[in-house]
Amino acid sequence: MISRYLLRYRLRLAVLAVALGLWQGLSAAGVIRSDEFPSMSQTATALWDQASTSTLWTAVGQTLEGWGIGLAIGAACAILVGTLIGLNGFAYRSVIGMVEFFKAIPVIAILPIALLLWGVTLTMKYALVAFAVFWPLVIQVCYGVRSLDPVVRDTATVLRLRGPRKFALVTMPSAAPFITTGLRVAVAVALIVDIIAELIGGGSGIGARILLAEADPSAYPIEYAYIVVAGLLGVLLASVFTIGERWVLHWHESQRPVLAEDQNYPERTEVAVAR
Amino acid sequence: MTERDITESGVASGTATPVVSLRQVRKVYGSAAGPRTALQDITFDVARGEFACVVGPSGAGKTTLLRCLAGLMPPTSGEAMFEGAPLRSVPAGIGVVFQDYGRSLFPWLSVVRNVDLPLRVRGVARAERAARVAEVLTSVGLADAGRHYPWQLSGGMQQRVAIARALAYRPDLLLMDEPFASVDAQTRFELEDLILRVRDEFGVTVVFVTHDIDEAIYLADRVIAISKSPGVVTEIVDITLPRPRDQIETKRDPAFAAYREHLLGLVMSR
Amino acid sequence: MPANLLPYLRLAGTALTRAWLFIVFFGVWWFWSAGSKNLYFPPLESIVKALWTQWATGPARAELASSLEHLIVGYVIAACLGIGIGAALWSLRYAREATSPYLYFLYVLPAPVLVPAALTLFGIGFTMKVVLIAFAAMWPTLLNTMDGMRGVDTVKLDTSKSLGLPRWRNLLQVVLPAAAPQIVAGLRNSLQVAIILMVVSEWVASTDGIGYYIVNAQESFDYVDLWSGIIVLAIIGVVANLLFVAVENRVLYWHYGARAVEGASR
Repeated sequence: MISRYLLRYRLRLAVLAVALGLWQGLSAAGVIRSDEFPSMSQTATALWDQASTSTLWTAVGQTLEGWGIGLAIGAACAILVGTLIGLNGFAYRSVIGMVEFFKAIPVIAILPIALLLWGVTLTMKYALVAFAVFWPLVIQVCYGVRSLDPVVRDTATVLRLRGPRKFALVTMPSAAPFITTGLRVAVAVALIVDIIAELIGGGSGIGARILLAEADPSAYPIEYAYIVVAGLLGVLLASVFTIGERWVLHWHESQRPVLAEDQNYPERTEVAVAR
Repeated sequence: MTERDITESGVASGTATPVVSLRQVRKVYGSAAGPRTALQDITFDVARGEFACVVGPSGAGKTTLLRCLAGLMPPTSGEAMFEGAPLRSVPAGIGVVFQDYGRSLFPWLSVVRNVDLPLRVRGVARAERAARVAEVLTSVGLADAGRHYPWQLSGGMQQRVAIARALAYRPDLLLMDEPFASVDAQTRFELEDLILRVRDEFGVTVVFVTHDIDEAIYLADRVIAISKSPGVVTEIVDITLPRPRDQIETKRDPAFAAYREHLLGLVMSR
Repeated sequence: MPANLLPYLRLAGTALTRAWLFIVFFGVWWFWSAGSKNLYFPPLESIVKALWTQWATGPARAELASSLEHLIVGYVIAACLGIGIGAALWSLRYAREATSPYLYFLYVLPAPVLVPAALTLFGIGFTMKVVLIAFAAMWPTLLNTMDGMRGVDTVKLDTSKSLGLPRWRNLLQVVLPAAAPQIVAGLRNSLQVAIILMVVSEWVASTDGIGYYIVNAQESFDYVDLWSGIIVLAIIGVVANLLFVAVENRVLYWHYGARAVEGASR
């Protein structure tokens, strides 16, 4: 068992080493032109330089600012509005068409409007992020609130749970898995929109750094260093979210351990898989 | 028609090759709590045309046993043989009916296409396929359900589709893993009679795993009782109740009650 | 009231419930902006006019066609690569386990950051845009294909073995259909990414496309045109989504049918 894990990690490290080595090799051999694309060592150096001064961290902080505020506003509004709409049938049927419509609008179409309203500012970033995050999340919250398992609902009725107590003890926990799925997507979307806003609008943050570096060929290593940072930030945020989700939803089926592939499913009496 | 040269220990002594042959089969697999011995020492044979039922308490490794018989899982030690040859993978002459018909039938295919899939795999020509599918669906009483999708049918009907699919290519051995456990009691009686009819019609050897002792006695020529983990063969009981079996008449026979008492004692004590 | 009118009234009632908010929204926008002198927010009426004169019958049609061409070519390539590579990685366990964190990294990487790099490598023009769209849109499909295939019910796999299906049949006729709902979810995600990249790739140093049109309008301070471009983008997004849902309902109707039955029996 243990050796399988070790093997997996060694394989992954090997793949990384090969990929980086290939990159460096192609650059050194001139296959990748140095004025078009920096070499691996240049990029790594630039990354190190940026990380050892405060520039990289400031940029990350600025990106996270827009991401965090936008996500918070968008999520709060979505949960509030989604719950209200979900609880009322008429409201749901009236609003759902519009919400689906706005959800389908590519957020990139809204960017010019945001620029018009707020210019190149932090407000523009987090307003755009909040807008992008709101629509899909509000639908998820609606579904969550509406899809109360009839058996759970009936049990609550028999147990005489009503009003705010029912909402807090039954409706919200039932909706929680849907909401967390929506939030997981929102976390990723918020980052992408935030960086797009920086990339196109300019201003501050990782996207802005990439934009700046693009203008100057000698700064390509820096540009690619920040591209790597953008990816790593995404991975980091997603991982943190998964850990948080596991903690909040520890009771839910999706968090129960999945049987390993080579452990052919035993008797029915064993706890079964859930995905 | 049962082979009478199977001795009390369950092992064949005559010259005819048993369809299924297990010798000291042992299956251990890893789990979160350490290695688990599902099967410790399983030895028995099943003769051609025989209807053998395997019973045991929950957690006794019955499903593991069936999967070993099917060639889906190799035993940790011991020999599992089909038609005299050791099982390495699923041989062509085996049909399997799983308990969970909902998960076994392919929801993207209609009933007809589900049933004719194994025939297409075996390269049977289209006209012949259509004929065979129609024949086997009629045998299970679903002559008109061909164009429906499995999920449009009731549980009992879905399991009939699964049985039809397993029989379509005329296997020598039919393995059934608690196939009627997920249907209601009424439907269960109908399906039990169905499988007996079908067994006579197609002449197939059947190994039927169940936790329901009444069902095992009703259906079987022999009942193989397995103990709880680590599983060993506790006893093999010959069922000499007259055929054809009948839900009311057979169960009224005092011998039925005697068998039930005996087997219940075996299963419940371990 | 005659009984045979009732179903029609009910239908009309449902339609009205779903539509009234839209009508109110656009109505309010129209009348509130009617006499607008605000440069940034021109009257809805003039925007609609621009939609007609520019986009429906006018010169902007070329931009629309160009953008859609990039989108479709890029998306189809992304879909094929995504499913193909995803399926390949599903069958090659060691390759999959070795590369999955890096695939995930590329999936999470906000693709627009690659625009400047793509510009340098491919210049401006068709290739750059299609490569960018295809590369960015590939990942959701790839990862969902891989995950979907891995998540196929073991009972189905056992059934497939017991029926004697050879490897290729198992892959094509059991695993892929079983994974189809998740693959389609990935394809939908990919479509959204493709649309975003379609615009972003035309934003910087492009000579055609909707993105170019919008940037041009922005720089010429022509806000009516700007808004018309925005609305065209919104329409593209909505129509693409509707088309996708229509195709999805057709292809996956067995899945939704089975789910409906399951839900009803709860």
